[in-house]
Amino acid sequence: MKARKRERPRYAKPRRDSYVFRLFVAGNESNSSQARQKLARLCEEHLKGRYKIDVVDVLKHAASAHKNNVLVTPTLILIKPLPKVTVLGNLNDDRQVLAALRLTGDER
Amino acid sequence: MNNQKPPYSELETKMKEAEELIHVLRTQQVDAIVGERHIMLVRLKQAEENLKSSRNQLRTLASYLLSARENERAVIARELHDEFGQALTSLHLGLSWISRKLTPGQRPLQEKIRSLSAITTSLIRSVKNIASELRPGVLDELGLVKTLKSEAREFEGHTGIQCRFKTNTAKARFDRSAAVAIFRIVQAALTNVARHAHASRTRIALMKRKNGLILTVTDNGKGISRRLIHEHDSLGITGMRERALALGGTFTLGGSRRKGTILTVQIPLSRVLMGTAS
Repeated sequence: MKARKRERPRYAKPRRDSYVFRLFVAGNESNSSQARQKLARLCEEHLKGRYKIDVVDVLKHAASAHKNNVLVTPTLILIKPLPKVTVLGNLNDDRQVLAALRLTGDER
Repeated sequence: MNNQKPPYSELETKMKEAEELIHVLRTQQVDAIVGERHIMLVRLKQAEENLKSSRNQLRTLASYLLSARENERAVIARELHDEFGQALTSLHLGLSWISRKLTPGQRPLQEKIRSLSAITTSLIRSVKNIASELRPGVLDELGLVKTLKSEAREFEGHTGIQCRFKTNTAKARFDRSAAVAIFRIVQAALTNVARHAHASRTRIALMKRKNGLILTVTDNGKGISRRLIHEHDSLGITGMRERALALGGTFTLGGSRRKGTILTVQIPLSRVLMGTAS
């Protein structure tokens, strides 16, 4: 029994308080690049060590965009913790983005 | 029961999403629109910059064309005045000389010469008018303010529409090209008043203010519709706007049936005045 437990990879199980984001971008278009950088910075500042960003390029993976009901890029979806949140645009307004992602106040 | 959402909740969420979508589209934060079959890249910023740059190029070209036209007009006016004017005057003097040499018995010939002489006088007047229309001599000789005064007087004489001119720039020295532009704007505005306004009076004001030189031409006519103001084939209006913009100024035109038409041009003083005499 003990041996089985050791075999389980640690990274596969996300921590309880970790954040999972999915960012839909269009290649290296300006707003997409901006959103990518902005999200990385915000996560580093507010969620250091407990976040995962999954970047989806809609130019390569259009099906994934349809599946997630993405109409425009950049679109950021907070997958975990629930409830899901969708933020559109280049994420240039820190205050609004943090509020939308529930990262202001006690959540920080 | 507690998990049941009120019926409007879903609609409220959709509204919020729609508002967000409109916001990001309006603020140009979107770079692709994902459709069912296609993904459309939108490069609004780039397109806007290209448009801005091409608009600036067009404006520079328009400004160059306006200045080239003014120069050409000046040359034609001078040629008309010097060449035709001189030739016609000589012709007129020659006819008078012949007339004096004729004997009383040559009555038919005398009448013919009198008629030719009248035609020549009329031609001289026409040439003078055309030359002055092309390039008002007074603008170079007497300056902008006196030219505008004279233009107002002539306009009133021709059309019967009362025309008053007021200014606080009587002692100012105007840049030559700016003076021509202002004069042409006034000319075009007065032409519009005469042709379209159905007005009984018009006012021209050229005032120096802190925020620039303000030219206003107002009338008590039937006003002008918004559609007409922005119509691309309103060449007179486009010409006036281009002249104002070429001087780094602004051009506004508005009005209503009750208030008539109000044309306002504002030009930075640095682009208009060469210095004010004390």
